[in-house]
Amino acid sequence: MNYFQLFGIEASFDVDIQQLSSSYQTLQKSVHPDKFVHASEQDQRIAVQKSAHINDAYQTLKNPLLRAEYILIERGIDMPNEQHTFGDTSFLMHQMELREMLEDVKSSGDVDAALLEVQNVLSSEYLQLSQMMRAQIIENTAASNSAACDNLRKLKFYQKLNIEVDRLEDSLFDD
Amino acid sequence: MAYSEKVLDHYENPRNVGSLDKNDPSVATGMVGAPACGDVMKLQLKISADGIIEDAKFKTYGCGSAIASSSLVTEWVKGKTIAEAGEIKNTAIAEELALPPVKIHCSILAEDAIKAAIEDYKTKQGK
Repeated sequence: MNYFQLFGIEASFDVDIQQLSSSYQTLQKSVHPDKFVHASEQDQRIAVQKSAHINDAYQTLKNPLLRAEYILIERGIDMPNEQHTFGDTSFLMHQMELREMLEDVKSSGDVDAALLEVQNVLSSEYLQLSQMMRAQIIENTAASNSAACDNLRKLKFYQKLNIEVDRLEDSLFDD
Repeated sequence: MAYSEKVLDHYENPRNVGSLDKNDPSVATGMVGAPACGDVMKLQLKISADGIIEDAKFKTYGCGSAIASSSLVTEWVKGKTIAEAGEIKNTAIAEELALPPVKIHCSILAEDAIKAAIEDYKTKQGK
């Protein structure tokens, strides 16, 4: 049973998060430890394992990048190893510029405006890439799936940048 | 997780940080990235007419091990021929810096950066 079947939802990149969440809660209730207080040790253990599995499935489908990765792997796409080096020079050059831009925020005259600008650039580029990936996943051809993989890897760089932005924002508020 | 002394040394006093003019025909630029951790590494080599690496600069956004790996590599490649530099293995980098298994990919990234720079140089020279 795949993760979509587990929650009884359609196997699609566009997930109805509300439906997913309510199905998740129903499933978690059915394996809640309170229900297994008088059960055998083995049944208790199975319930704990099921609960962990339901949780993994939920976290995967809830997050768009993890969901994309899951769908592509389920389709049998050969995902490049996470540690595999990414060598798209112009994309990486741009990533470096974005990181430099973020680095300059602190020393900028108007920190708030500089931070906002970085956030705007990042979110618009993220949106563009993720829309492209979504369309490629929906198209579901060999070429589109492989292009979706490529975009997924690019999106991970943005995900990391967003963490850096949050960290910077926290440190600015601390001052 | 504790970093080794050598990693800390390179992290706190990185060697050869900076940029070379990427449009200079004698400058090779290698850009590599690791999606898993979002690290981005730029390695630039200034190569003489007889194929000796005269200067090396790097800029890395990433963890301490990624910075240390690229810093170390700039020290190692200087004075080497491009063929010699191309033979530098990630295992040697990892060993020198005493990288733990979870950080081996940082040394792979540095090795790949040298290869990417050499590739860039060949493309430039082929023009």
